[in-house]
Amino acid sequence: MILRLAWRSLWRNKRRTVITVCSIALGLTFAIFFIALAEGAYEQMIEQMVRIQSGHITLEHPEYRQAPSVDLWITVPPQLRSEVEKWPDVEETKLVILGQGIVKSGAGNMAAAIMGVEPSVEKASSPVARNLITGKYLEASDKSQVVVGSEMAERLKLAVGKKLVIATNDVTGTLVEELCRVKGIFRTGSEEIDAYFIQMPIDFARRLFHLPREGATQMGVILKDPGAQKRIMKRIKDRLDDRPISVLSWQEVMPDVATYIKMDKGSNLIFQAILIFLILFTIFNTLSMSVLERQREFAMLLAVGTTARRLRLQVFAETVFLGVIGCVAGLFFGGLAVVYGHVYGINLSAIMGESVNISGFALSSRMYTKLSFGIFFGSAVTVLAATLLLGLIPVRRATRISIVDTLR
Amino acid sequence: MNEIIETEGLTKDYGQDGVVTRALRGVNLTLTAGEFAAMAGPSGSGKSTLLNIIGGLDRPTAGTARVQGQDLAKMSGTDLSRMRRDCIGFIFQAYNLIPVLTALENAEYVLMLQGVPPREREERIRAILNEVGLEGIENRFPRELSGGQQQRVAIARAIASEPALVLADEPTANVDSKTARSLLELMRRLNEEKGITFLFSTHDQAVMKQARRLIILQDGQIIHEDHRGEVAGVA
Repeated sequence: MILRLAWRSLWRNKRRTVITVCSIALGLTFAIFFIALAEGAYEQMIEQMVRIQSGHITLEHPEYRQAPSVDLWITVPPQLRSEVEKWPDVEETKLVILGQGIVKSGAGNMAAAIMGVEPSVEKASSPVARNLITGKYLEASDKSQVVVGSEMAERLKLAVGKKLVIATNDVTGTLVEELCRVKGIFRTGSEEIDAYFIQMPIDFARRLFHLPREGATQMGVILKDPGAQKRIMKRIKDRLDDRPISVLSWQEVMPDVATYIKMDKGSNLIFQAILIFLILFTIFNTLSMSVLERQREFAMLLAVGTTARRLRLQVFAETVFLGVIGCVAGLFFGGLAVVYGHVYGINLSAIMGESVNISGFALSSRMYTKLSFGIFFGSAVTVLAATLLLGLIPVRRATRISIVDTLR
Repeated sequence: MNEIIETEGLTKDYGQDGVVTRALRGVNLTLTAGEFAAMAGPSGSGKSTLLNIIGGLDRPTAGTARVQGQDLAKMSGTDLSRMRRDCIGFIFQAYNLIPVLTALENAEYVLMLQGVPPREREERIRAILNEVGLEGIENRFPRELSGGQQQRVAIARAIASEPALVLADEPTANVDSKTARSLLELMRRLNEEKGITFLFSTHDQAVMKQARRLIILQDGQIIHEDHRGEVAGVA
């Protein structure tokens, strides 16, 4: 009877209840959608970053982080690498050689980040390989061929087949130069990468920098599930024993991006809090009005023997119904919006332009929402819990009446 | 004799902004089971205040009030709720039905509070609604009933749990005279056939005429009593 009474009482003023339910649903829809959009954007950013650079987890020389230099190289035992690649959460591993140098052409010269990569690995997943605008991507057998960014190609008047000279210091500090040809030109949308990065097969890089076979500045581990990062890092550390190799998270390798994401999450949290506050305001108004309007009825119920506890339960049940209906509706519409955004993406080029650069990484203007049970569940639980907590105030008010004065 | 209500030196003061109003002044009243009694008097005489205290809705400032031997002043809020649920039926001037419940659901509300199983509740209430002349309207909502019908539902609610005592505060004030007469007849019949004790607070002459005991209050005191007939159920 309590539930029946609560349910029917909710619909005494249909318009008010519908407005309240809609405001909960709308608020939750926005909350879910914007969280999913933000998480999706972070995911895209991190994906691009880890695939261009050195993975969700990076193995490198312990002193490399303080002063990145090609002479701080490591050798990862091949059996360790193949063991790590077999772990279920690991997608792939990659060896990378990162150095600095000058690229010269007939049109001029410029500083460059020289990246030695394993073409077979990069082809499958690297944004560089996926975004060739002309020419072909590298093969392991390429002796002196490179791919350059579109900005660099433009500045140095490079085209596929054109020659360029790379000048750098090898591991002994000796100045070395190599003549090579452009095999392909890429455009990732990131100004930093397109202007300064030049990729070559890792064996070419080893030859250039005089690194030994199997030597690399970093080994990257790309994960299938980024959530497994900590666990995998620990396993790798355990396998390394006392080898002088650091195991770092992408957050430690790219602190700018990590900080940006943290700050963005923080401001999103504030936005969510404001949204929830506005929803709660509406709910509180509805519940308070509903209780005020029925004081006489509550007085009568108390007069005929209803206990205060029972009456509070009835009013609280109304709050529960309101919250649950609103949340279910919000989950439904929020879910629809997120699924749409996940499948088709949301084109924000009108606001952002073609892409946005964050710490040197390009974020496409077509953003995809992240499909995550946690986002749905977390948002709905937050809104519902806040609704129920707030509902306790009018619940208490319902029984704080003078029966005699109210019935008079 | 089975005393159902006993008050002794009952006093009630109301205070507001430092001004104290004495609504009851040492009222001594005894009501026996089966009585059909009415309290009358001008506005402000203390009728409703006395009714509220007897019903456990208000507490006296001084004196005692006992219902079925239980001292109301010594009872907690929960105990008073229980007493009202199990021993007392209320009929209000403004019917006070729950608008979102049907006539049947309104009438069975107290039985629900008592934990009577749904099937048994429905059976009893249908019989009672029949008795009060409301067969066929069980599934209507209060807004679909006339004033008289609503008050009959209220009466059904008040007697459904077979209380020892029914307190009726101006039960005929919001209905026309014809309806008032039929309601009175109904309550009189319930008193005679089931032995339910009725205590009214009223301005209605018709109620005063029907009452077998008339208690006149003025300025918070009983100034006159008129015993006119046998108590129902008592030889």
